[in-house]
Amino acid sequence: MSVAAPAREQTRARYPDAEGYVERDGVRVSYEVYGDAPTTFLLFPTSPISHSRLWKAQIPYLSRYFRVITFDPRGNGKSDRPETPEAYSYWEYVQDGRDILEATGTETALLGGICDGGGWALMLAAIHPTAALGVAAIAPCVPRLTPTHPNHLRYPSDVPLDTDEGWAKCNVHYWRRDYRGFLEFFFSQQIPEPHSTKQIEDCVQWGLDGGPESLVLCDEEAPAPFATEEEARELMGRIRCPVLVVHGELDGCQTRERAAAVAELTGGTLVAFEGAGHLPQARHPVKVNELIREFGQSLERRTM
Amino acid sequence: MAVELTTQTREQTRARSPDDSGYVERDGVMVYYEVYGTGEPTILLLPTWSLLHSRHWKMQIPFLARHCRVVTFDGRGNGRSDRPTDPEAYYEREFVADSLAVLDATETGRVVIVGFSLGWQSGLLLAAEHPERVNGAVFIGPSFMGGGEPLPERTVYDFDTEYDTTEGWAKHNRFHWLRDYRDWVEFFISRMFTEPHSTKPIEDAVGWGLETDAEVMLATMGAPVLSPEESRALCRRVRYPVLVIHSEQDALNSVTRAVAFADQTGGELVLLEGSGHAPHLRDPVKVNLLLRDFIRRHA
Repeated sequence: MSVAAPAREQTRARYPDAEGYVERDGVRVSYEVYGDAPTTFLLFPTSPISHSRLWKAQIPYLSRYFRVITFDPRGNGKSDRPETPEAYSYWEYVQDGRDILEATGTETALLGGICDGGGWALMLAAIHPTAALGVAAIAPCVPRLTPTHPNHLRYPSDVPLDTDEGWAKCNVHYWRRDYRGFLEFFFSQQIPEPHSTKQIEDCVQWGLDGGPESLVLCDEEAPAPFATEEEARELMGRIRCPVLVVHGELDGCQTRERAAAVAELTGGTLVAFEGAGHLPQARHPVKVNELIREFGQSLERRTM
Repeated sequence: MAVELTTQTREQTRARSPDDSGYVERDGVMVYYEVYGTGEPTILLLPTWSLLHSRHWKMQIPFLARHCRVVTFDGRGNGRSDRPTDPEAYYEREFVADSLAVLDATETGRVVIVGFSLGWQSGLLLAAEHPERVNGAVFIGPSFMGGGEPLPERTVYDFDTEYDTTEGWAKHNRFHWLRDYRDWVEFFISRMFTEPHSTKPIEDAVGWGLETDAEVMLATMGAPVLSPEESRALCRRVRYPVLVIHSEQDALNSVTRAVAFADQTGGELVLLEGSGHAPHLRDPVKVNLLLRDFIRRHA
């Protein structure tokens, strides 16, 4: 099947000062570095449904204050698209983040992430405490920690359905048939704020840069990171660094309950955005940027 | 009987609130003005067609007020100004007289004027006939009558003839306004913002348009526009720097109008690629920087 040819990349408000790859088990993962401030902010991507440009509204601002590192997830952007489910395990993404810190000579960093990426940032902080000064997790996805958002449970995601209505599009058979249709539906649900046509258009394009197969492997076939709720809770409980959790009240992907559980188990702070959806960093960048900067600077002062 | 089209919504919060505001009254018509910031120079943001009021400068006011003093007012027929229903109240020289009354009331000497769309008329009259008050003039998307061509699609239907279609520009019609004013406003504003991702300025501008009504708008249509000869004669009298900003894709006024206007006033012409009729709302950063640079050079 063919997905639309990638459009010419948009111009950027700021371009990376350095770029590189890390490679593990034959999979190359692409990263970018912006600025040279003493404190590093590593921004995790999310699943192959998007790539590092989802931070486009943060990079130019945060890199005035921090050395910002972003990377494309395996399965999208300039990173490889491995063909085995194991390569898309949460733990592989966590390890990609860790490898990139090492490759860029970074001992410790502020970690940020959205959705799956929020989960990866938290997991890295849990298993490798010296790597994390703090974690800013937006709409974090930590599987099994709490019940899945009801939107994801409306239809089975892996069997053919006799409808394409609404959330029935969240289905591997539909993805392979009409990936753009899925992306347009999904992101219009996740960015429900009025006047979001630009953010939705961007997200759809970044999704098309990847394509359905990587998402199938990552979301449907990759091994689960935790076997039980207890395992997930135990890991969150191990986090010792400060944690900031941001949650939009209209989030249609991750529940408030999950965000609250992360904050509670990590002793972190939960900031709820009224009227915001799943991607406040795209739709409310000024608020999110200031919040993240203040969070980062408060921890920087503590260490310097 | 007047029909209530929409309930007045609570006014939006503003990036900057006026430091002073008030009314001037002429022939029983109250006109509401606002002043932002202090110091020199003063920028007068002129009213346009009464379909919009002074909030259409919302993207300019907070920026310009950091650099200079900004005076603006609601054109008669909308906003907090009165809504006379006599066409004579909307003659262009009434807007000029309102401008001068506002300048006097705010103790403003000379100004740089900025006009949008139909605002070219009062702007040109001010620049030509009141040189003692004007240091320079900027015109955005002017519907200049002294040269250039109308857009072909706007010549198909006559405003005063009743048609059995309401398709496209057939909405720009006296009978349709009386039938379904909101439908025309939504159509017209959608032609004002032809750029992608314009839902917010469209929503704003439709809201402003619904703050007045068909009766008032019909009165404005009864006021004559400047004739081509008069327009050209006025251009020849302009002695101050002029900047004309227009878009080649403007779907309300042909770019040829702007080319002729800049030519006849000896002004500078800036054409914006990919913009619509109201770049000051849709591409405010570009327009604001053009305004700031013009003011620095000529104030």
